[in-house]
Amino acid sequence: MTISSITLALILGIAFGFSLNKAGLTTYRNIANQFRFTDMTILKYMMTAIVVAMIGLYIFRGLGWITFPTVPATYIVGNLVGGLIFGVGMAGAGY
Amino acid sequence: MNRIKTFISQETWSPYIAGILLGLVGLFTVLLANALLGASGAFESLAGLLGKKIAPSLFNNVYWGVEGSRTMPVIRPEITWGVILLVGIFFGGTLGALSSGKFKLRFNDDAQWKRIFGPQPWKRWVIGFVGAIIVEYGAGIAGGCTSGLAISGGMLFVPAAFLFMAGFMITGIITAMIIYRKRY
Repeated sequence: MTISSITLALILGIAFGFSLNKAGLTTYRNIANQFRFTDMTILKYMMTAIVVAMIGLYIFRGLGWITFPTVPATYIVGNLVGGLIFGVGMAGAGY
Repeated sequence: MNRIKTFISQETWSPYIAGILLGLVGLFTVLLANALLGASGAFESLAGLLGKKIAPSLFNNVYWGVEGSRTMPVIRPEITWGVILLVGIFFGGTLGALSSGKFKLRFNDDAQWKRIFGPQPWKRWVIGFVGAIIVEYGAGIAGGCTSGLAISGGMLFVPAAFLFMAGFMITGIITAMIIYRKRY
């Protein structure tokens, strides 16, 4: 890894962590309450991020500025079972 | 200028504003680094790195790579780009807390948690630790976590992301129902 790619990773990571903190996802309450539907922060946050990035990505690809990186593999049982296990920990620990 | 300062020092932003920031971060990650955001893979890389030092034979497998084999391991047991990103995430979260003046070493001060589980900090630690193991295990099977699969996959329209989200919402709701019972 070059210095510039390390710096880039750090900057992007800091921005990511900052936005997580400002969304309030670093507190137990906000994570747990999503699963009780008394607080919709996670869904609002995730869906906004997905939509914003999606619009940008498809425009940039259309302009020929980027090619998509290797996409996460789809294997129906694995993705679903992994998600099912993940949910237990996420709602239980609230992280 | 002052308005920007007040904005940054708010404890929480509207999730839409924070979401836009994350969306832009995800976009720039692809544009500048041709990579995807993620966190769980970095933990696996670190675990593999440690494991190969401590118990090389146990970690000599398809997942972390077989010694002398030319097939790419599922997870590279080294300091990857994602590990650096993870370090950044840690400092970004710290910076966020500092900016709102809420930075504090705390062990268990979430009022809602205390109501449900009691005030003892060790319970928070144990449940947090066990929960984290379950989360990482699930992420390992699914091929990513909320950031690496749900968000990064979602923005590329990958079916895996939406399957994963459906999965964790189903059991998340059930788990919350079990924990909160009548208070759900």
